[in-house]
Amino acid sequence: MSAETTAGEGAAPRAVLHDIRYSRWSGTLRPRRSAVAAFVASGVRRPLGLRRSAGAKVWPFLLLGAAYLPALAVVAVPLLVPAVPVQPTELISYPQLLATNAVVLLAFTATSVPSMLTRDRRDRVLSLYFATALSWLEYVTGVVLAALALLAIIVLGPMLVLFVGSVATADEPLRWLGDTAGELPRIVAAAALVAAFHAALGLAAGSLTSRRVFAVGGYLAVVLVGPALANLLAAVTGEEWPLAFDPATGPVRLATSVLDGTAGTGALGWAVWAAVVVAGCAVLALKYGRGSDA
Amino acid sequence: MSSPPPDAAALECRGLSKRFGQVQALDALDVVLTAPATGLLGANGAGKSTLLRTALGLTRPDAGRLAVLGLDAVAQRAEVRRRVGFMPEHPCLPADLSAQDVCVHLARMRGLGRRDAVRRTSEVLFAVGLEEERRRPVGSYSLGMQQRTKLAQALVHGPDLVLLDEPTSGLDPAGREEMLRIVRRLSTELGIRVVTSSHVLDDIERTCDEVVVLRSGRLAAQRPVQVAGAGAGPVRVQVTGDVPAFAAALEAVAAPLGARLAPAPDGALVLDRGTDEVLDAVRDLAVERGVGLARVAPAGRGLEDVVLDAMQGAEQGAEQEAERAGQEVATGER
Repeated sequence: MSAETTAGEGAAPRAVLHDIRYSRWSGTLRPRRSAVAAFVASGVRRPLGLRRSAGAKVWPFLLLGAAYLPALAVVAVPLLVPAVPVQPTELISYPQLLATNAVVLLAFTATSVPSMLTRDRRDRVLSLYFATALSWLEYVTGVVLAALALLAIIVLGPMLVLFVGSVATADEPLRWLGDTAGELPRIVAAAALVAAFHAALGLAAGSLTSRRVFAVGGYLAVVLVGPALANLLAAVTGEEWPLAFDPATGPVRLATSVLDGTAGTGALGWAVWAAVVVAGCAVLALKYGRGSDA
Repeated sequence: MSSPPPDAAALECRGLSKRFGQVQALDALDVVLTAPATGLLGANGAGKSTLLRTALGLTRPDAGRLAVLGLDAVAQRAEVRRRVGFMPEHPCLPADLSAQDVCVHLARMRGLGRRDAVRRTSEVLFAVGLEEERRRPVGSYSLGMQQRTKLAQALVHGPDLVLLDEPTSGLDPAGREEMLRIVRRLSTELGIRVVTSSHVLDDIERTCDEVVVLRSGRLAAQRPVQVAGAGAGPVRVQVTGDVPAFAAALEAVAAPLGARLAPAPDGALVLDRGTDEVLDAVRDLAVERGVGLARVAPAGRGLEDVVLDAMQGAEQGAEQEAERAGQEVATGER
């Protein structure tokens, strides 16, 4: 409702009064994919501390800074020192960048991914979601997409910086882009492999408990104890196949094989990756498939 | 997308049953809530929360059918979600987000675009009195402000029905008054169906048109809050002073108005009609005779008596008596 006060007949309104009291809303709702997209955006913002206190931003942005630093540094060298005729990708390759960021990735995943689920149960907001907003499938889909997007920022982002930097610092950028454009799909696929593995593992840990500390502890136990056991087994057997079960470096080895076109850990590595991703999704479906807030 | 009929009942339960282990939370419940605002009353464990959770799809019934606004609560979940708002009793708000962010977030997940969500959030937060405080984290709010935020999020997407679980729980007197005023306005001015669960009869009387009493998962009573003609029913008058003289004078005054006077065993006077004219006559006569009016109250059984009886099982006992009597008659006729 609104009323207009005019200076005279035919004159433009000088002031408009709006009744801002609550009234029924009868607009058209958007398609469900829009709601899920909003949920995904919110799921990415909160672990990064966006729209929250300054303190909530410190840790995630510290880790992001650490992840982007190597790529930015090697890009900055030829940009700031033109006398140095070196390409950023000669200073650090994509597989090397992945390996360098492996520890940062584990820390980032541990502090952000499991809590995407534990936080909703701690706040007891699931009753609102499932009763009036989202189906369980929309919720799980949204959480998985948010986790993938979040991990893409720390896995794919630095590699894209390196790629763009190598183009920008090339003597003939367009020609360089034409020559290396074929690497882009492999970069995205490699990042997707790593992100999907850790998202599945982190979300599965987060779905099994409502306590954040247990979820983070569970994820860290898998990615820290797993490598020790895999390496011990490899040392005892003298074979390399146990390394396919290493949850910390296994996905990075697979990603390296995609980037280099090498065999990597072979079929066993792919099988372990697929088993973890499928098991993670199955745990989520079992936990939330009833649509209950318990 | 199927649209429910506009006159569909807010909730319609047919043989609804739900058991949790050894506890039968809902026991073949049959009830239809058609009033604009209905209050659910019952002791702890009576089945109120289970009924609300089943209507919201958070619990699956073991047997029977539950329709929400004419939509099947199980088969048509997506459409029910779109049309319903819910205010839980328990804390359900992220403590680190502001009321504004909570409402915008939930509005967007219910399908509103960003601009609509922000505008609607401002409207509902203004309506519940949180306009000034909307940017503070919810964790820093008082209990009353958190309750208002919960109500705001339930309204932000313009639902046809809101389910309120103990909306005045934990509120101070001023906050309770404000909450009751807002809840009453939902059904009377905004045309939103309301189903409120509460332990407090006074809250239900002030916000609802109908009261439904549950006991052990079954319907114990269903009554309108305002009984037609209740205002003209019998009244009990208690006076101090010369009661016999006042009674004699009152009998003479009341007779021309069509009311008869009868003394009660406890010394009170009972008039069989309590019209405005009769009550005015009582007041004027008390002034004229110099007696004190200690109490003037309806003499019939009020809503409170009905609800208390239903919660304690008296009504159920009476129904069983009637059922037994009916069986005896039927047996005799055979």
